[in-house]
Order: sequence, then structure tokens, then C-alpha cells
Amino acid sequence: MNDNFPELKPIDRRRFLLLGFQGSLALAASPLLIKKLLAGSEAHQLDLSPEILKKAIAAALKRGGDFADIYVENRISRTIILEEGKFKSAVFGLIQGAGVRVIDGNKTGYAYTDELSDEKILRAAEVASLIASSGKKIQPASVKEQKRPSYITVKIPLQEVIDSKRMEIMQRAHEAALSYDPRIKMASINYYDEIRDRIIANSEGILLKSSLPLIFFIVQTLAVGNNTSHLGRERLSRHSGLEMFDDLPPEKAAREAVRESVAMLEAKDAPAGKMDVVIQNGWGGVLVHEAVGHPLEADNIAKQTGAFVGKLGKKVAADIFTMVDDGSLPNFRGTTDFDDEGTQMKRNVLIENGVLVKFMTDILSAKQLKMERTGNGRRESFRYYPIPRMTNTFIERGKDKAQDIIASTKNGLYVQSLSGGSVDPTTGVFNFTCREAYLIENGKKTTPVRGATLIGSCLDIITRIDAIGTDLDFGPGICGKGQSAEVTVGQPTVRILGITVGGTKQRR
Amino acid sequence: MDYKDIAQQIIKIAKKKGADEAETYLVNSRELNLEVRNGEIESVQEASNYGLGIRVIKQNKMGFAYINDFRPENLEESVSRALNFARVLTADENNVLPDDPGMTEVKGIYDASLSQIPMDKKISLLKEVENLALKVPGITRSAGASYGEGESEIVVANSHGLLKSYKSTACGYGIGVISEKSEQKTSGYESCSRRFFSDLKPASEIATSAAKKALEMLDPKPIRTQRAAVIFVPDVAYALLGGIIQAINGENVLQGASFLGKKLGQKIASEIITIIDDGTLEKGLASAPFDGEGVPTQKRVIVENGVLKGFLYNTYAARRAGVKSTGNAVRNGFDSLPGIGPHNFYLMSGSHKPEDIIAATDRGVLVKEVTGYGINPVNGHFSGGASGLWVENGKIAFPVKGITIAGTAEEMLNGIDLLGNDLDLNRSTTAPTLRIKSLQIGGE
Repeated sequence: MNDNFPELKPIDRRRFLLLGFQGSLALAASPLLIKKLLAGSEAHQLDLSPEILKKAIAAALKRGGDFADIYVENRISRTIILEEGKFKSAVFGLIQGAGVRVIDGNKTGYAYTDELSDEKILRAAEVASLIASSGKKIQPASVKEQKRPSYITVKIPLQEVIDSKRMEIMQRAHEAALSYDPRIKMASINYYDEIRDRIIANSEGILLKSSLPLIFFIVQTLAVGNNTSHLGRERLSRHSGLEMFDDLPPEKAAREAVRESVAMLEAKDAPAGKMDVVIQNGWGGVLVHEAVGHPLEADNIAKQTGAFVGKLGKKVAADIFTMVDDGSLPNFRGTTDFDDEGTQMKRNVLIENGVLVKFMTDILSAKQLKMERTGNGRRESFRYYPIPRMTNTFIERGKDKAQDIIASTKNGLYVQSLSGGSVDPTTGVFNFTCREAYLIENGKKTTPVRGATLIGSCLDIITRIDAIGTDLDFGPGICGKGQSAEVTVGQPTVRILGITVGGTKQRR
Repeated sequence: MDYKDIAQQIIKIAKKKGADEAETYLVNSRELNLEVRNGEIESVQEASNYGLGIRVIKQNKMGFAYINDFRPENLEESVSRALNFARVLTADENNVLPDDPGMTEVKGIYDASLSQIPMDKKISLLKEVENLALKVPGITRSAGASYGEGESEIVVANSHGLLKSYKSTACGYGIGVISEKSEQKTSGYESCSRRFFSDLKPASEIATSAAKKALEMLDPKPIRTQRAAVIFVPDVAYALLGGIIQAINGENVLQGASFLGKKLGQKIASEIITIIDDGTLEKGLASAPFDGEGVPTQKRVIVENGVLKGFLYNTYAARRAGVKSTGNAVRNGFDSLPGIGPHNFYLMSGSHKPEDIIAATDRGVLVKEVTGYGINPVNGHFSGGASGLWVENGKIAFPVKGITIAGTAEEMLNGIDLLGNDLDLNRSTTAPTLRIKSLQIGGE
């Protein structure tokens, strides 16, 4: 590694101001950087005058409509890959653009541009305006910049970190992975970080700016032995500065990936059939994210197609089951200061003691359903218009001890980690593949099994949850719904009675 | 803006700044997306965009930067960023750029008239397909009809003097419908994608198929856990082919992360199986004159009569393996480094009519939908959720839902004993209807 790698260009003054208090502490300790700040300016700042934002909103509503907004974005990212002992590739990315949206009744018009010139932005507004046909005219409120509380704190701003520092962290994970067990034949470390700047303005008069750092760190290890192989994985992610790795050391992530890889070398074929399943706390929450969370997104409720249509206020789950979506958990991967429509993030209880109390909305579905805005209007980038998406979604903690849940399960499947899965929001039918699972025999976690799939229906499984632990934990993920979103899922250890498990082995 | 000029200009800047080799991959594209629900237009999205990726190699170290801001000072800065990255990475003698000036002749990938077809015609098509689907008795709701089209120009230039470009188009539409019967709710979806608008299947065909998929799943019955025949319809071919595509990825093979890594020249599937990767297919949705780094595409046999014949390579992996690039470098856009992937990837058709395959099956499941990750490319294990129609004594008996199927790639590929004659080459990864003689099915 070369320690003489030239330092990144400093951030310019305006960007610094956008960052607000977040960067100020670390900056104060770095007089050299301040000197550079004053001396140089980086070409790609995100700043548009309130005038062009106003003009774009007015142009968008020229033909009518109920609502218009403009979303401007600038994303600077770095990806570095360490694989087979080599720093194989590194990618620097700079993407900017703006999107203009018009809502007229149930209709949405959307257009975007890569180029942030006044001409291109107004052209996008014009294209978006073509959707309007109701003839309804509104007078857009004058935009005025507002401040919102932030749930993201930064100690070591990413823009001040030299690349060799990032690579050192990767190296630490790599060395740890290879030293832990001789059966590990390869480790691959993927480092990603970004700074996403947003400006959001709309016809209701809001004008918001924010700058969000994000880190995503993935360790994968390949174990070979016992005539098979297994690729283990651990992921770390937060909206945070580089101090994330003080809390979540890279070595620990490596050890977790190795532990999974090696443990699964001994795996036997999974049983098939219906059985009781205990899911470990943390990333296992992806099951309710898919199976229950997606059907609770309000777009499919507004369209009258979702599995939970007509169930608001009704008992849908076991009494002990409470499910929450909370985009304000400090520095979580699914957290932002406000969503991509400018709605404040907050804690939303979706199912409370088994009763369905709330859907997750964006501006359009909230209007259609006459419900409150919950802060779930999110988008992958300026190339997409916002839709209802989850943020940090989890099962609230219960009263049972994790070890008691296992001990009281006579026979079943213990799912330590899931790969991920999917759900049909219309029917609520979901499926999951287990990354790491074990048999439970006479109340004890025993043999590891491979190739287990869990399937079922969302309306059904949440009535069959009969034990929830006190050990709530979380895991970071990427959620896809035509566009991708950063999310966190979470749960305590839970037990679900009688899920269909797919495996290769006939059960006794 | 002349994109070829920009691409070449960047190479010059990179060389001047000290790069040994440099490459620009530029994409300029346009897209239109429409949604209709309940006879009304619900959304219109229209945009054009561009961006480029810059790959530089210095002393066998490779850096990459991408940008969608074409102002000269920003382009220049991106080149510097890529070079700065190159300096700190590990040297690898296999980091080289290709120099093959060839272009494969590929017909029918650009529909020049696509952008001229009025939006109204595209909206009418959606209204028609939705209307027809809602007319089918038993269909109670529309989940919406959508249309999408894209047009792009790709330019690849590198410091070996390579400069190539091509234009392509694609368009497609689909409809989702719902059938409700007392407490039951089923959904069906059908779509069609083509290079040319005029080649799109008629609305009646798409509507009928979507409705059928929803209706045939009403009143499912449970089945017990058992071993039985599994018939895959072409819609679920990906469940089988996806893992194979990963496992024949030359880089995964080099890294020991493929269950097929040591099987070259060996029998991996039943004799009736032949798998082709074809970048040259006329009107193929994954056809192109050159791959993601400018290497001419080919048509190759990957599996012939059950024997594994070859892997897929880009320039880097090929050099490392001591072979030639197979023209399989793929980019997921201007912001991605060249990875490895197939073009039109298909399992050759057999001689049986799909209905004859059902008729020849005593007991088994006709799988209409598979969920999950398909075959695990590292160890070859397969496990997924499935739904479809139960077959008893050669006849469709009732729908089944929430079942699972599981096995190993070896068991599945060698177990294929009947192949349909219904290969549809208008999909990019596809297979005809096929039967696996016996597989573990999880039910009650």
C-alpha cells in the first residue's frame, strides 16, 4: 500500500455549510484542511438558486395539477474491492441530476435531467406537466428554506478520509478472515461509501437541503472442505462517518463471515415439510420485512390490490406481535433526516399487539387514502419518482429469553441467518432461502443443514408467532421494489409454529 | 454533442496524465415508461440521460471513475480520480485492454421508428390489454398495465485505437390481474419484450395469458411431502439457468467459487441437453456487435449433449486463464466495471409438445413459478419455493401453492428426461418446457 497517495480535494465552502454542524468538530481539529477549504473549490457542489426551484415548480403546474416537486441530487461514491489478496479495483463515481414531478388526481408525471442547467430543468418540468388534464389549478406556495432535525451524526467525515485509510480497514478484515481458519480459501472485501446531497422543494412551500454519508462494508469468505464449499457473508452499514468501524470493527465482521462459512461445511441436507421454526435475532427480521412490511406499504392499499386491504384496525397477528418502521433510529442504514419528499422521519407503529394500526405512505398514497404522511416516500435516485418504502423495520422486543425459546421447541428448524427473499404483495405469499440453519432436536440446536427454504403467506405466519425474545437486534440490507433502497431489518429471536420448509430430505 | 469525440478526448487526457492504457465506455440513452390502471393513465415518465466510465491502467494497476457531468473540467478531474485510484491498487499483469478491431454483424437490434410511434398508440395498447384481461370471467381487478421503452447508443474507445459504437432499442409491455373468490386472491402477470415495436405480441395474447395464470391458481389443494416429477415451464427457466450462468463465469471458476469449475469436458447433464450462448442472434434482446469492452461477440456452445464445453470470459479473466476473451464482458451501465455474463443464453429445444410432456407424467408438478435464488453457483445446491399445477395420471388435477422443490444441480441436470419444442428465443435467458424425472417436493 502506498501511504503517499495524494489526499482528496477538500470540500468547498458551500458544501461544508450544507454539512452544517456534522463536520465542524473534526474540521476544528484539522487546521490544514481548513486552509485547503479556503484555498480550493471542488467543481461539483450541489447548489441551485431558490429562483430556479420556484420556476420549475411553477412550470410543472402550468397545465394544472394538485402538487409538484423538484428533487435535486448529487452523489459522490467510492467502491474498493479487495479479493484474492489484491486490491483489484476501485471506482470513483460522480452522479448528479434533477427530477420534476407533477401529481394530478391519481396521475403522476415525471421527468428528469442529468444536466443541472436552468434550461434542462425547465424542460423536465414541461415534460412532467404534460400529465395534467384535470384543469385544476393551484397557486404554489413560495418556497422557503427550512431546517429539520438530523438523526445522523458524523465524527470523521468521509470527504476528509484519504483512500489509504479505507484500504487499511479492508486489509484488517482480509487478514483476520484468512487467519481464523485454514479452510478459508478466499476472502473478498467490498468497501463502498457515498455522500448524497439532496435539495427538495415543492408546491407546498418546503425547501430542504441535506448531505448524507453512507458506508456499506461486505466481507465474504469461501470455505472449502468436507467435499463441499460455502460462501459466508457479513455486512456492516450505517449512515455515518468512518467512525462506524470503531463501533463495528472489520475484524469482527470477518470472523462472523468465517464462522458461517466453516460451520456450513458440516451441513447435512435440510428436511422438507411443515415444522416449527425459530429465527435468530437480527438479520432474520428480513422475513417480516418481506412478508409483512411490503404488503403494509400504502401504494398497494391505495390500488386496492394489497393483502392487507380492508384490515386497518383489525386483528391480523398474534397478541404478542408489534411491528415498527422507524426512520429516525440514529445513524441506521435506513435512516435519513427526512424522506425523499421532504417528510420528517419518525417512529411508526404498524401493527400493535396484533392489531393493524398504520400503513407506510408517501405523499401520493397518503392523499389517496386520506392518511397521514409517515416519511416513507423514498427513491433510489433522481431517475425515479418516490414510492412508499420501508426504512428500519423490526419486530418489537418481547418477553421471552432466547435460550428458553429454543429449549421449549421439541423439534424444528433454527434459522441463524437468511439470504433474503421475496413476497407477492397481492397474495402475501413469501419465500426465503436460509444461509445458515440448524436442526432443533429435543430443545437443542444440533446439526447444520443446507438448502432450506421457508415459504408461506404473510397473513398466516403472523398469527402463528408464539414466542418473541428480549434480544432485539438489527442487520443492514438492500431492498428492491423496481428501485433499490437502503434498509435495516430487525427482530428479537422469534418462534413461528408450522412453516413449510423445503429441503431435499424426506422427514421421518 | 459528438460522443465519439468526447470518448477519444478522454483517452488523450488520460495518456497525457500518465496512463499506460485508457478506455472510455459511454452510454447515451432515452427512456419512456407508462402505467395505466382502470382505464386511466396513472404515470408517465420520460427522460434522456448520458454518462461515461473511464478505465485507466498504469503499471498494471487499474482505476475507474464514472461521471454524468460532461463539463470539461469535471471530465478531467474524473480522469485524475481514476489515475489516483490506479496508483494505490495492486498490480496485476492481467489488467490489459483489448485491441480486436472487429465487430460482429448483428441484425435487427435497432428500431429507428420506435421514438416516432406516438405516445397515444402506446397508451392505447395498455388500455386495450387491460380491458381485454378484465373481460375474462373471474378476473376482478387490474394490478395495472405498464409499458417501457429504451433507446441507447454505446461508444467504446481505448488507447489501442479501438473505437466502436452501436445503437439499440428495446420495448415491452405487461399486465397484472387479480382474481378474487370469497377469501381467496390470486394474481397473474404476463409481459412481452422485443427489439421492435411491431414485433410485440398482440394485446389479446398477453391479456389471455395473464388472466389464465391468475385463474388456474384458484382453489389450490395441499400435497404431501414426496418425490415426484417436476416440469418447468419456460417462464421459470431462469431458476435452472441462473446458477449455471454464475458457475460458468470464468472469474468464479478461477476463484474456485463454481461447482462446474473442474468439470470442463465432462458430462454435467443428461445427453439431451445442449446450451448455447449467442451474442449474434437476429433481433435477440441480448445481442450486440461487441461486448462491454469492445470485443466482438460470438455464438458458442456451452454444453453439448450434456458435456460442458466452455466458460465465459472477459479480457482480464481470459488472460489470467491463458485463453482468449469470449466476448462476454458485461456492463450494467456506464458506472460499472466490465464483469462477465452471457448474451442470449438458452437451452436448445427438444421434440415434445408441452402437452405431451404432461400426458407422459404419472405424478408430478407443472411448475409455473419458482421463488428464491435457484441453483447456488458455488456448491450446486438448489432450493426454492414454487407454485403450479399438480399432474396426476397425465392430466392436470389441481393447483398447488406454497410447495418447495430442492435438489442438487447434478441431480436436476442429469434428471432431465423430456424436452419441449416450445423454445421462445425472444427472451434473453430461456429454455423450453422440460421435465426432471424425480425431485424432492416439500408440502404438508
